[in-house]
Amino acid sequence: MNLAAIIIYLVLAYVITVHVGWKFYTNGRVYILHLMENDAVFTDAINKLLLTGYYLLNLGYSAIMITAWEKVENLEELIANVGTMLGRILLTLGFIHFINMMVIYQLSKTHKNPVKK
Amino acid sequence: METSSNALAYFIYLPVVIVLTWFVAHTLFKNALIFMLDIFHGRDDLATSTNKLFELGFYLLNVGFALLIMEVSYVISGNQALLEVLSYKLGGYSIYLGIMLFLNLYLLFRGRRISKQRQMMMELAAKPSIEPQQ
Repeated sequence: MNLAAIIIYLVLAYVITVHVGWKFYTNGRVYILHLMENDAVFTDAINKLLLTGYYLLNLGYSAIMITAWEKVENLEELIANVGTMLGRILLTLGFIHFINMMVIYQLSKTHKNPVKK
Repeated sequence: METSSNALAYFIYLPVVIVLTWFVAHTLFKNALIFMLDIFHGRDDLATSTNKLFELGFYLLNVGFALLIMEVSYVISGNQALLEVLSYKLGGYSIYLGIMLFLNLYLLFRGRRISKQRQMMMELAAKPSIEPQQ
């Protein structure tokens, strides 16, 4: 039962991580591009770095969480455990996402030339 | 033999929570797009991508929270206990969703106000350079 739980958890975590990461990557580009005043080189660099950091952080985190797995004996414990673990990952993802957007926004404030506009 | 209804509770809780979250996010961000277009002065690509990013964050936070509070650590026996625990969890979750909704609305109104102010400042700053030409 433990193995089944871990496999379900890993597949779900992987699918969510990659899907969400790709969406961030494609949608975030325009956003960063605007905040960096159409500095395309800087934008692509930041975007790639953010994506790489995001993958490393998430897949690493979800792999580490496996060691903290409780013993699963029946279906309800399986659902509960997988749910809690995924919930934690999603929450951290959400927080990191909003922190990222805030940091990019702050960066854009210092990156902009204050005399212009 | 009394069987526990924990699995049944999860099977009811999960679809309800996911549909609820989807419904709230869908309604909120369909209407938030109008605010975003206003905030970014009709720059469509930027408004839609910012909207999308906020929608993703909204989903992540709320679905994550819903999954986190899902677990019932004791054995649920009987229909009454099932009903009670489900209504407590779903009610608590919908209150939380409502608070998140109003938080988002507050952010949208604030963004709109700041963007309006900025535009006014820019117009004021642009005026003296125009007037001498006339």
